[in-house]
Amino acid sequence: MASPILDRELKKGSAELLILSLVEDRPRHGYDIGQLIELRSRGTLRFNVASLYPLLYRLEKRGWIRGRWVEKAGQRRRRYYRLTPAGEKILKAQREGWREFVEAISRITGIQHA
Amino acid sequence: MPEFKDEIRKRLEGLSLSPAREAEIIEELSRHLDDECEEALRGGATEEAARQAVLMELNQSDVLATSLKRVEHRVQLEPLVIGEDGKTNVIADLWQDIRYGLRMLARSPAFTVIAVVALALGIGANSAIFSVVNAVLLRPLPYKNPDALVMVWEEATHLGFPINTPSPANFIDWQNQNTVFESTAAMAQSNFNLTGAGEPERFDGQRVSANLFTLLGVKPHLGRGFLPEEDKPGTRVAILSYGMWQRRFGGDAAIVGRQINLNSQSYTVVGVMPKNFQGIPSYDNWNDQLWVPIAFPPEEAASRGNHYLEVIARLKPGVTRRKAQAEMDTIMARLAQQYPEENVRVGIVVKSLHEQVVGDIKPALIVLLGAVGFVLLVACANVANLLLARAAVRQKEIALRLAVGASRSRLTRQFLTESLLLALIGGGAGLLLSVAGIRVLKSFVPDTISQAQTIGIDGKVLIFTALVSLMTGIIFGLAPATQASHFNLNDTLKEGGRDSGASVRGNRIRSVLVIGEVAVSFVLLIGAGLLVNSFIHLRNLDPGFRVDHLLTMKVVLPELKYPDKQRRAPFYDEVLRRVASLPGVQSVAFAGNLPFTYNGDSINISIEGRPDPAPDQRPDVVLRVVSPGYFSTMGIALTQGRDFNEQDKVDSTRAVVITEKTARHFWPNENPIGKRLKPGSSASQSPWREVIGVVKDVRQNDFLAEPKLQMYLTYRQVNSFAPNAVVVRTAVDPLSLGATVQRTIWDVDKDQPVSDINTMEKIVAHAVARQRFSMLLLGIFAALALVLAAVGIYGVMSYSIAQRSREIGIRMALGAKRIDVLKLAMGQGLRLVIVGVAIGLVAAFVLTRVMASLLFGISATDPLTFVTISLVLLVVAMLASYIPSVRAMRVDPMVALRYE
Repeated sequence: MASPILDRELKKGSAELLILSLVEDRPRHGYDIGQLIELRSRGTLRFNVASLYPLLYRLEKRGWIRGRWVEKAGQRRRRYYRLTPAGEKILKAQREGWREFVEAISRITGIQHA
Repeated sequence: MPEFKDEIRKRLEGLSLSPAREAEIIEELSRHLDDECEEALRGGATEEAARQAVLMELNQSDVLATSLKRVEHRVQLEPLVIGEDGKTNVIADLWQDIRYGLRMLARSPAFTVIAVVALALGIGANSAIFSVVNAVLLRPLPYKNPDALVMVWEEATHLGFPINTPSPANFIDWQNQNTVFESTAAMAQSNFNLTGAGEPERFDGQRVSANLFTLLGVKPHLGRGFLPEEDKPGTRVAILSYGMWQRRFGGDAAIVGRQINLNSQSYTVVGVMPKNFQGIPSYDNWNDQLWVPIAFPPEEAASRGNHYLEVIARLKPGVTRRKAQAEMDTIMARLAQQYPEENVRVGIVVKSLHEQVVGDIKPALIVLLGAVGFVLLVACANVANLLLARAAVRQKEIALRLAVGASRSRLTRQFLTESLLLALIGGGAGLLLSVAGIRVLKSFVPDTISQAQTIGIDGKVLIFTALVSLMTGIIFGLAPATQASHFNLNDTLKEGGRDSGASVRGNRIRSVLVIGEVAVSFVLLIGAGLLVNSFIHLRNLDPGFRVDHLLTMKVVLPELKYPDKQRRAPFYDEVLRRVASLPGVQSVAFAGNLPFTYNGDSINISIEGRPDPAPDQRPDVVLRVVSPGYFSTMGIALTQGRDFNEQDKVDSTRAVVITEKTARHFWPNENPIGKRLKPGSSASQSPWREVIGVVKDVRQNDFLAEPKLQMYLTYRQVNSFAPNAVVVRTAVDPLSLGATVQRTIWDVDKDQPVSDINTMEKIVAHAVARQRFSMLLLGIFAALALVLAAVGIYGVMSYSIAQRSREIGIRMALGAKRIDVLKLAMGQGLRLVIVGVAIGLVAAFVLTRVMASLLFGISATDPLTFVTISLVLLVVAMLASYIPSVRAMRVDPMVALRYE
């Protein structure tokens, strides 16, 4: 795990991008999103409930994702979030911005892609 | 498995989220925590360890709250689910309720339209009638400090005049002796023939005390009022009404100071009264157009036996009407001792001017106001029924709200808000209706009600309408609202949305409402029935003459030009001759005051050979001076003797025609023909007059009152009481001859004014205008209530049968015949109606008593009316429950049962 400071800053800057990316190909519920972030970052990134959900609600409120209760046989219902058309545009722009940002940082710090 | 909901809820406290939103967040987050917990357990952790691990997620306790706070600005995403969120939120709740209510109303347009129409009719009727009450009863009269104004009348009940016009000498004594009035003024009706400027025209006007306008506190629009010194014989000054000034003088501001020719004498116009000044509403239906000083000449001032004044007075500050009455009683008792000949048994009546003006119409208006109140109650009951039926449909919604934590009081508030919204929309529509209604009302309001023209919508009417709408909303909203608060959540959930205890209760409320509706409608129908019956009695009264095909007009001869009978006769003769020869005219006559146009002209008479009775015992006989041919023209049957003819000249035997009642009164078992009588005491100078004929009694003064003693004299033999009207029996539409007859009169005298061209039918209609006004309106309102009640019965029956279709299906499956089902269904409806009618009967017995003064010829408990109305209501109720019952009969048992 990175230092607490880096952790917080990175999360703050990238959290939106992470969530939007995760719901791009299909709708996911909050637990799923949390799991995937932890899994795909190999444990580097982790959201707890108290910060994940307010973020989801904010994105929903901005109209970038849309949550919907889905019931499956024999299960308690869950809320699935999917990307809205507005969210798609934002995702595209953020990806581009992030790519430029990372490239710029890399060029300066001399960190090379593996 | 541990439970996290409470932990989450704890952390959400203080965010004041809407309960719905809170529930949602809790659900979503707890699901998440459950998932984590499960995973931890799968990984082999103990339950307690898993729980601790998961709670770590929440343990930065303020993180969740602060981040959420930034996102959730207490936005109500889903207004459908409402919970109790405390006092801080009343306005937000209200706004939410209003929006939600509007959406609910928009979602069921049929319901909304029916409810709004019912309410609009009810509220509109109330606003319209209130606007009349407001203008006629509530609005102060347009004078300075009008509460201190009183009318002072003589009272001669023993002669049939409970209020009588005072005589000049009495008036002058009152004026000098009283200490209770600031000032007093006398008025006397007078006719003015205006000549010399355009067509000759007759105007109703008054001679008035010079201080009248000061007493009233009314300032002239132009010029000045009368000066005290002008109240002297010989001064010729006049003040015009605004209307006369506009119409005859084109509103010329230079009118003040101009000379005009009235009754062949020159008068100086000194002023014009303001537009809204209609004069003082008086004893007769008098339409004041101009005023001159009363200026009693000495002989008039001394006259105590001629009664023709109207007296108005202003009470001194601090003096009550009662105190004034007491002092005037004392003064009148003294005058009766001093002048027993004229004043014995004559009393005095001090009446507030307001009472004088509105007295006659007040009972009718109060009954009408009560009636529209009843109509509104019926409308409320209907809407409440609709709401109840809808509340039953909305059971699922209510259950949902209660389940997510809405409190019962919150639900009650929501229902009341919806009712109030409905009431306000209904009230708005009602106000629009009342605007139209007022226009119609104005044409119904008899023009004898002087304030009729001021009827309209003002601030008071608006406030009244708003209050009525609000009260209405609360009244009809209470039933569904209380029902909602008694809603049993468990039952509804258990029974899977089928009929529950709540709708049993709803059915009971609905039944009570129908019973109430029927009872109220019954009372209204009885009221209307009584009035209609009275009116039929009234119209069936025999006026004593044939009303149809009679053309009438006023032709008042100026006294200066035609001072005596010798100079008047050639004019009358020539007019009669020329008009009689016009095509379409069957006969023509002159009359002194046509029936129902004048209340006065009666005299004492003495009978030859009988001692004069004491002054208070002297019979008072109504006198009319006519031309030969009057009886045949009017269609008054001659039962004995003969009509006047050409032989009854100035110098021949004085003739008199009396009515049957007069004949019976004076000569009960004798032949009156040839008997002699004379005006005044037998010692008076006037010659004896011989009875030459007896005619049928005519309702002369008051259409409703029994005819008084009457007699007729011919114009050739009387100097005073000159005929002032022409009456023509026509073979064609009477009014089509009006202009021709008028021109014929002008051919005889080009300066002779001819006015009030009318038909006798109109005059009679006018005489019963008030009765027709009350009857028509109450009839309309009762019909409205009947329709509303029928709709109510129909609605309740339809609903109850729809609810019972399963039961009916079972009955039919078990072998019940269709006719049994019909009986069952209709029986249910009829039971309600019969209970309603029974209650209505009792209420009507009590309430119709207030109408007694409006009725004519029947009692307030007229059995025929009560029986007829009961039957009418039963038949209507049967029809209203028959249609849904037939539907019950057609229930297919299979369909009804499969519904399970």
